[in-house]
Amino acid sequence: MSAAPEAQAIGDVGAIGQTVYKRRESIWSKALYKFRHDRTGMLAFAIVVAYSVIAIGVWLGWFASDWADVTGGKWETASSGHWFGTNIIGQDIFSRAIYSTSTAFEVGLVVALLSTLIGALLGSLAGFFSGGWLDEIVLWMMGVLDSIPFYLFVAAIVFAMQDSAYSMHVAMIATFWTTAGRIVRGEVIKLRGLEYVEAAHAIGVPELTIIFRHILPNTSHILLVQATITFVAAIKSEVILSFLGLGVKDGMSWGLMIAESTKEILSGFFNNFLAASVLMFGLVMAFNLFADALQDALDPRKVH
Amino acid sequence: MELLQYTIRKLVSGIPLILGVTLISFVLMVYFGPDKTYELLGKNPTQEQIQEVRAQLGYDRPFFVRYADYLRELAVLDFGNSDSTGERVNALLARTIPISLALVTPGFILGNVLGVVLALFAAFYRSTWVDKAIMSFAVVGMSISFLIVIIAFQIIFASSYGLDIFPVRGWSVNSISDYVAYVSVPTMAMVFVALGYNTRFYRSVIVEEMTRDHVRTARAFGVPSAKLFYKNILKNSLIPIITRIVFSIPLVVISGSLLIETYFGIPGIGKVTYDSIITGDQPVLKAVVGWTAVLFVLAQLMTDILYRAVDPRVSLK
Repeated sequence: MSAAPEAQAIGDVGAIGQTVYKRRESIWSKALYKFRHDRTGMLAFAIVVAYSVIAIGVWLGWFASDWADVTGGKWETASSGHWFGTNIIGQDIFSRAIYSTSTAFEVGLVVALLSTLIGALLGSLAGFFSGGWLDEIVLWMMGVLDSIPFYLFVAAIVFAMQDSAYSMHVAMIATFWTTAGRIVRGEVIKLRGLEYVEAAHAIGVPELTIIFRHILPNTSHILLVQATITFVAAIKSEVILSFLGLGVKDGMSWGLMIAESTKEILSGFFNNFLAASVLMFGLVMAFNLFADALQDALDPRKVH
Repeated sequence: MELLQYTIRKLVSGIPLILGVTLISFVLMVYFGPDKTYELLGKNPTQEQIQEVRAQLGYDRPFFVRYADYLRELAVLDFGNSDSTGERVNALLARTIPISLALVTPGFILGNVLGVVLALFAAFYRSTWVDKAIMSFAVVGMSISFLIVIIAFQIIFASSYGLDIFPVRGWSVNSISDYVAYVSVPTMAMVFVALGYNTRFYRSVIVEEMTRDHVRTARAFGVPSAKLFYKNILKNSLIPIITRIVFSIPLVVISGSLLIETYFGIPGIGKVTYDSIITGDQPVLKAVVGWTAVLFVLAQLMTDILYRAVDPRVSLK
């Protein structure tokens, strides 16, 4: 291990008797080292980066801005003008599939960030005050949200928020935060008993400061892993919800492309279906492997 | 006697969960769900006709009266008649749930049994090519959307572009051979998708159990591998395995087959649920939500009792 020498104290003893370290070794630097030597993980990360470049490019209007334009005839096969052919009304399938990448990223990022944030917040409060009324309420909320059938809940929120483009996001965040919440709660219960927390208590640090400054940052590696897992779950749910007509309404998504394709595949036109499936599979697979490598590097609980 | 006391205590402690689930769902249904009034009226209704339909649907009563009514219906398990078809909700459930069970049971059992078997293989040959091959397959299975698997399997097995050996869609089952024909494609899709997640989960549980001290000691004493795997590892991994299986039952029974049923046009509870969501058929939704919550409480109770059966150290306190 080439990291080992860096971890050793260089041996300078400061004036007040503290050992001075030239470089600090944190969980993050160790994880980075481990991650960089994980070939599958690095490859997966490169693919994820490529997809995010596509997504950012679409947001900036670099590519696929013509996804809604009719540029060809009905069901054209692949050609140099239309790489994946055209759909039933002559729109370019390649542009639509590329444009959908940005939709997937948008849903994935928003849902992963917010649900992890809410999970961290409520989970750490519940964990710190475990056994108390706050814990009881949070546990009850998690139990209730996990027991409402997912599609029914999403549909209800879609109706509740009428024409809002974000009803699907809200529904997913409201159900997905419970997983992060449970994990953080368990972790905080473990950390709460450690000496440094006791010491903070003893010198009179306020409870909320202890939770948010001293305990929660120590769960950040788990939160990062959980966020990547939620990202994948959100993309997969988005496709199914859009297919069922409960998700993306204005805009394009792989789920809408697949919904469109179900009318075509029985007459033998597969381009729409294949384009959406292959692009989606590539992203989800790469992200799953990336999340795995991240978990290997960051989560000591992970079993190999 | 102890068991009975425990069961009653557990059921009582499940009441807050049932209240929460029903209250949230009912608020969403009542205030935000689709309004059926105009669907049931003819053209140019008079004010009285509108009032009459609203009264008939119960829309004119205050919220808490309606919610109390819902709880009473849940207590006696009778949810009245469907707003859309007028069929009794209980008759509707009795007609559709068996279809859904027949549809999902083979896939559910195969997905879990094969998952445990593959996980045992992967754990037994840990970090060899067998393990790597199985786990790569699991990641691929996890990465393909259920939707894509359903459509791809339909093309491969049931269309003229593929093998064309099973019916494309629908559910007209009159004999065992019909059943096998209609259930095959959905079952394969379900097993394919469930296998990825299940294998990974079960493998990590089994590997964790494998690295325990008592297993190492037993191995040092020369206990044969097969016996070790069955007696010391599999049996001790049963608690997380049982938890996962039992807790997936409520959703599988009520809404797990929603996507399959809507795609293949199978008249099970999933499709009925989807249709009632779209049309706002409140009595049916009330029944589906209520039953799911009750099943969750029962699942919790069942896991606790099963824990004791597999692990005598667990006490029902």
